[in-house]
Amino acid sequence: MSTIKLDPVTRLEGHLKVEVTLDANNAVASATVAGMLFRDFENMLLSRPPRDAAFLTQRICGVCPVPQAVASSKAVEKITGFKPNLQGLMLRNLIQGANFLDSGITHFYHLSLLDYIQGPQMSPWTGGYTQDLRFSAADTQTLTNHYLSALQIRRKANEMAAIFSGKLPHAANIVPGGVTALPSATEITNFRNYLNDIQSFISSTYQSDVNMLASAYSDYYNVGTGYGNLITFGVFDTNTSGGLLFPAGTVTGGTVGTFNEANIKEYNKYSYYSSPSGQAPASGTTTASYGKSGAYTWLKSPRYNNTPFEAGPLARVWVSGDYRNGVSVMDRHMARYVEMAKLVSNMQTWLDQLTPGASGFTNIGDPASGSASGLTEAPRGAIGHWLSVSSSKISKYQIITPTCWNASPMDDSGNPGPVEKALIGTQVADPAQPVELLRIVHSFDPCTGCSVHVMSPDGVEMSKFVVQPLGK
Amino acid sequence: MRINRRDFLKWSVAAVAALKLEMDMDKLNTVMAADTDPPVIWLLGSGCSGCSISTLNVTNPTTIEDVLQNKISMKYDSTLMAGAGENAMQALENAANQYNGQFILVIEGAIPGGASKNNCIIGEQNGVPLTMYDAVLKYGPKAKYVVAAGTCASFGGVAAAAPNSTGCVTVKSLLSGKTAKPVVNLAGCPVNATVMVQTLLDLILTGVPSLDSYSRPSKYFSTTVHSVCPRRETEEVSQPGIYGCYEEIGCKGPGNLSPCPSLKWNNRQGWCVQSNYPCIGCTSPAFPLNPVISVSSHD
Ligand code: SF4
Ligand code: SF4
Repeated sequence: MSTIKLDPVTRLEGHLKVEVTLDANNAVASATVAGMLFRDFENMLLSRPPRDAAFLTQRICGVCPVPQAVASSKAVEKITGFKPNLQGLMLRNLIQGANFLDSGITHFYHLSLLDYIQGPQMSPWTGGYTQDLRFSAADTQTLTNHYLSALQIRRKANEMAAIFSGKLPHAANIVPGGVTALPSATEITNFRNYLNDIQSFISSTYQSDVNMLASAYSDYYNVGTGYGNLITFGVFDTNTSGGLLFPAGTVTGGTVGTFNEANIKEYNKYSYYSSPSGQAPASGTTTASYGKSGAYTWLKSPRYNNTPFEAGPLARVWVSGDYRNGVSVMDRHMARYVEMAKLVSNMQTWLDQLTPGASGFTNIGDPASGSASGLTEAPRGAIGHWLSVSSSKISKYQIITPTCWNASPMDDSGNPGPVEKALIGTQVADPAQPVELLRIVHSFDPCTGCSVHVMSPDGVEMSKFVVQPLGK
Repeated sequence: MRINRRDFLKWSVAAVAALKLEMDMDKLNTVMAADTDPPVIWLLGSGCSGCSISTLNVTNPTTIEDVLQNKISMKYDSTLMAGAGENAMQALENAANQYNGQFILVIEGAIPGGASKNNCIIGEQNGVPLTMYDAVLKYGPKAKYVVAAGTCASFGGVAAAAPNSTGCVTVKSLLSGKTAKPVVNLAGCPVNATVMVQTLLDLILTGVPSLDSYSRPSKYFSTTVHSVCPRRETEEVSQPGIYGCYEEIGCKGPGNLSPCPSLKWNNRQGWCVQSNYPCIGCTSPAFPLNPVISVSSHD
């Protein structure tokens, strides 16, 4: 048995460590994936007005701040029984969609591609593995050029979002009640010009590049397959009565099932927390305990029906029926492309539905009390905020982010997390250059800034706040 | 100032190249290959990567690009670099040694300290986990300049918000008395891309710019948002989402030093008040207040 340790795993947001043991044939026998940054967000939210959470939780992740603001706003809105009007929903879709496009392009070109090609031989592109590079010099050049032009496209996606969001990262105006922008006809045209640019990049450059990758590395349809269980909370409202472009659902053994929030629990036997394991997020607490015996990560283990599930674009497009091939490294890349192509064309439709000068915001104030969840999707998967309010202040806040699903450690029954499972069994050609491991990890697009969280120690929290019973 | 693709090139190898030289790799190699130039080492601590992303979004540095050509290269940046694991940590160590006393150390995020140093581990060197705290202490004194990118690194920001159970400290406090030059605080949540990139250029060209009492470059942080806000003369409104001035509902613009109304964000596509929400004061040492904004907060 030999061991490979990758610390840090670069080209992702945050601090991630991967450690595997290899058997005598250099196949991965066991794997641990660990989040190495702990930030305590849920605790800092306590005693604040509920409306502040949309701003603070965006600061969990500079890569996908918008879904945090949306999840948080939805939780507050649910407590008050409010739903934004169509203008508000479309503005959210467009800002969140722009964030998806930015994140997706960044993921494929800037976070993943260097696992398959050698970039220019200057820092920061030197020092990568040279194992298993299959593209010709000409194709490498093409992909490198696209790496560079994709930097413009991802930037433009941010600029496009800022037309309605004020700025990115960290949108200024996605709040409970809707979005405060009053889009002018000029701004709508401006947005459309950006959207057209991005759409043409996706339908030409990105499409051909992802296909090129998939044909050169077609064996990766059989690598990183993991459990094959997929989960999505659903995202992008298509109307005011609950229609979603990508509906909620689960996939088990290829079959789509209904999603039921009540089936989610979080475990922490192998996490640096001493608080009770196996709680539903609405009642979960977290007490940090670095160095806890047997623990190896700051991430907890969310499970659905006590089973590990994988979140991300593949889950969304499988449930929506847009892509149903398999679960693997290459399927994750293909799914992301399929989703972005569908998203960008629907954004055109949503843009058509904006009314120039109309308000997508209602001043709903802060709810006095109640509990609710706000569920949506980040580019990298299902995201949920569970909020309780008492005396108009936050009395409890729990967050489950996509990377919690994917990069979670073993649960209390010893089931590895989805990324860990996807690593197990992988053949490593050259243990000195374990590029296969990077390809698998990157295909999940992990983000550890978002994935680590904690509540205050139970005693402190309970002595300060009365948690309201669930109800509207 | 309009977007200038050449300008971006001068700063970051990665981001820069695309904007000017999409299809011209030979030229890119020539321009960026000079290995004698003082490099940038960018470390991420307890932060969200928002300052990295914001910096990638830059379109508007200053007009001093010709002087700065060949002057900078990104030796360590965990978001963009090809190397991983040992290769990455070696690149960090090698760059710091090779360019000892010459490189610019950029620190994004606050730094968990005290008993919580292990709350942020940036990698392993020789089999030993390197905490962000120790990394800053190790590389800070070797740097020619140290830049705190964003409000978390500068003042603690959201990372150190009450109750700050992770014991986050600022770059300046951790490196007090240990750096060649004062730490430059580039406040903002995230840092504005122009402020970030222009300051790196200023450091290379002319050294540490004039700083205010919070160690922020005076040229960006001596004007309140309010004093140049285009809504100063407009009617005060009692809720966000309506065109008007937000002073009545706690806009932090009157007390907050920041160049937002003039620089704006994302290639000038917007900024907070333009999107009909008050300034929440994200460049302030006190950010984020509880509540983030309140009517009496700037009285
Ligand atoms: S909106 Fe804010 S910054 Fe602008 S004038 Fe009013 S108070 Fe000042
Ligand atoms: S307007 Fe205020 S809150 Fe917005 S980015 Fe500028 S300083 Fe920060």
